[in-house]
Amino acid sequence: MVTSQQVELLAPLSGVLMALDNVPDPVFASRLIGDGLCIDPTSQVLCAPLAGVISNLQHTGHAISITHANGVQVLLHIGLDTVNLGGKGFTALVEEGQQVTAGQALIEFDADYIALHARSLLTLMLVVSGEPFVAPSPGGVLVETGQPLLRLQLGQAETVAEVQAGDTQRSQPQRLPNPNGLHARPAAVLAQAAKGFAATLHLHKQGESANAKSLVAIMALQTVCGDSVYLSACGSDAEQALKVLSELLAEGCGESVVAVAPEAQPVAVPEPVDSNELRGVCASPGSAFGHVVQLTESVLQISELATDQRHEREQLQQALAGATAQLQTLCDTTQGKAQAEIFNAHQELLEDPGLLEQAFGLIEQGKSAAFAWQSATHETATLFKGLGNRLLAERALDLDDVGQRVLKLILGVQDCALELPDLAILIAEQLTPSQTATLDTRKVAGFATVGGGASSHVAILARALGLPALCGMSPQVLALANGTEVLLDADQGQLHLEPDPQRIRQLTLQRALQHQRQQQDLQQAAQPASTRDGVRIEVSANIASLAEAEQAVSLGAEGVGLLRSEFLYLERSSPPSHAEQVATYSAIADVVGTGHNLVVRTLDVGGDKPLAYVPMAHEANPFLGMRGIRLCLERPHLLREQFSAILASADLTRLHIMLPMVTQLSELRMARQLLEEQALALGIKTLPKLGIMIEVPAAALMADLFAPEVDFFSIGTNDLTQYTLAMDRDHPRLASQADSLHPAVLRLIATTVKAAHAHGKWVGVCGALASETLAVPLLLGLGVDELSVSVPLIPSIKARVRELDFVACQALAQRVLGLESAGQVRAALQPLVQPMTELES
Amino acid sequence: MFDKALKAFWKALTPDLVVDEPAKPVLTLDKTVLAALGGSGNIKTEQRVALTRIRVELADITRLDPQALRVAGVPGILSLPGGVVHLVVGL
Repeated sequence: MVTSQQVELLAPLSGVLMALDNVPDPVFASRLIGDGLCIDPTSQVLCAPLAGVISNLQHTGHAISITHANGVQVLLHIGLDTVNLGGKGFTALVEEGQQVTAGQALIEFDADYIALHARSLLTLMLVVSGEPFVAPSPGGVLVETGQPLLRLQLGQAETVAEVQAGDTQRSQPQRLPNPNGLHARPAAVLAQAAKGFAATLHLHKQGESANAKSLVAIMALQTVCGDSVYLSACGSDAEQALKVLSELLAEGCGESVVAVAPEAQPVAVPEPVDSNELRGVCASPGSAFGHVVQLTESVLQISELATDQRHEREQLQQALAGATAQLQTLCDTTQGKAQAEIFNAHQELLEDPGLLEQAFGLIEQGKSAAFAWQSATHETATLFKGLGNRLLAERALDLDDVGQRVLKLILGVQDCALELPDLAILIAEQLTPSQTATLDTRKVAGFATVGGGASSHVAILARALGLPALCGMSPQVLALANGTEVLLDADQGQLHLEPDPQRIRQLTLQRALQHQRQQQDLQQAAQPASTRDGVRIEVSANIASLAEAEQAVSLGAEGVGLLRSEFLYLERSSPPSHAEQVATYSAIADVVGTGHNLVVRTLDVGGDKPLAYVPMAHEANPFLGMRGIRLCLERPHLLREQFSAILASADLTRLHIMLPMVTQLSELRMARQLLEEQALALGIKTLPKLGIMIEVPAAALMADLFAPEVDFFSIGTNDLTQYTLAMDRDHPRLASQADSLHPAVLRLIATTVKAAHAHGKWVGVCGALASETLAVPLLLGLGVDELSVSVPLIPSIKARVRELDFVACQALAQRVLGLESAGQVRAALQPLVQPMTELES
Repeated sequence: MFDKALKAFWKALTPDLVVDEPAKPVLTLDKTVLAALGGSGNIKTEQRVALTRIRVELADITRLDPQALRVAGVPGILSLPGGVVHLVVGL
């Protein structure tokens, strides 16, 4: 039924109008959330565009929804990527559920703070409920708060008939991987996908539920990272809907999420079956049987006041000197380089003028040395925890740790080394670097902590030791008696309190085999990877930092096959300076050394991950737009600067430069000319090797024309797959079909290798396919010379190569090229998997 | 309140997390815009921020001429305390 009723929306802000199409944010510009308009604000109070109820107010204060009595729902979103500010700069003036009048002030914001700390202030007003409207003429038009802007035509919103019949089905509970929970953008992606199904769909979080087809309802759940959620569905396509949406949730709903570890995807955590089981998040994979050992930090008695200021000052100074000496000893004796770096940083912290000033200031006010130091460290740690950044919050633990060390010295509390029983499962609120440094790790079987996450210290340590670890346990775990027998199953996210003896035997055996296998791989990691019939394959690393370079070398990487240079450019507001770039590349080159290759890929960004300081026009389809070398050639100064910084490490390693997204020969030639010009300017005579990524089918098909002009090819299987199959690898329904083992992709690899070898050039694979154990025999058989893999997998990929027979691989490759589908290819490869490798899953 | 050493500490632990101080970019404002802001002598700092804005700090805010700025092609102006002004210039 169509009525002629209309609702008027007022301008929520004063500012300059911008058409939604021009908003440099794909989710908003594509109207995924809803149609509307954008204002670049010149005022600092967001006002209600219509009367209604506040149906959702994000706890970070940057977004708010209002629902009008007649069903019209409007979302207001201040700024782009402002969720990352964690609420700083925003003050909500209303509450959820409150009735507001049109024009009422809703949120006050600090425009200067946001301008300096977020990507943009561009503010969106979107009609989520979908009523059509006539847009005003955009472009440089100034509007004033409260001025009528849009006239909505009611009664024309699309309504989808929902099927209610049948039983309700539920998905497995899963942890949200999104760093900021399901905020506007991931929520929109989820709702959009949910709307594609006829079934009624709900998203549940701890007894609360929301219609999964409603963006606002999902946002109103106020989820945060790590929340356990599940879906329920009722209707004919319920099963399919649950499958697709659970996968979408696990993948982050279009947001790039940090995987816990390559083999440790966030696991679906089942509901507690009984009270004999506690749940947590997998921080390091594996499982172990052992005995509970509770680690508690002793509570120190501190008196607040002191009489002799000079004495207190001296005490603090002595304790600081003592702590510095202790940390130096730890630095010198600890085995892991990462650990030593942490203690080094702790030492630096002890010299921090800000902290010292605060502590000594408190002593001057008559406080005791212990009280002053504790207050100073606590305050700073709390501040970091409150910034809403998970990584920084986890680092605040280091601050507490070093604080405690000094405090013990002031109070003369002795740390006694902990005597551990064999097979200890360590349980703690949180493990600090100091605690773990003194542990006898041979006796530890696993970790379970209440705090922490995938990047916490305990997770890093556990992964380095190859021990299972669970984080985010319920505080109940701290009540377990010392010595209790438990089964820690990190893969399933469970801690079993009364484990079944048979399951223990099974796990012990499995763990022994797995351990043996890992140790064996690790021991041989430094050995070259040659097939049984003597064909040598280079196994190198994909890295994005100096730390990864060091780790890679220690795990036996024969150089770096892909250095993603983007890490130098992302998450900052200005380009990296020449000096910074030179320092970074040189440090990595130094680690790789002159005996191996270092392949630096030039900046590979595009409309999908724009840089704050490189304004880019919005693109309808960024993956088919100005990406990689296309962007760099359009802005040659970026490429020139990068070349000149990379060239500075020419003597430190076997330097290779690789161009991403090359499609045309002219792109290669232009880049080579720029490189030659830079080398000439720097007086460098021997040019580094120059190669291209093969990730666009055009480049693979014309590899015979590219080969004479390059020094090497490296195949980026992820992009090559999505461009060959025309399937977005993040698409909720297509992702499972976008398989790099599709024969079409394999044929392009074969074509590339053939062309390269005809001209005496080598071919590497740096995409995810190279890190897949299953694919190794196939890639070898296709003639690939180098496998560049993710760092932790280097030993196991090298070990896999050693098990293979090259001639057999070649025969296999020929057979597989004639198959019909990725499924058939997988089926053909499966029998080759050694029985032991199934333990790696 | 966080000084260099503390920053170095975080940087050592999470190298990609701490953003370096942005170098002061050299921006040349249009002549007419400059005049509307009270001349180059009146501008203490200028910085391109938040994709669509130029943030300037003026020594004397009273010398800013909003009318002249609009004529010079700056559609939006946000005047803030401390002589800070955002010129909304678009993408």
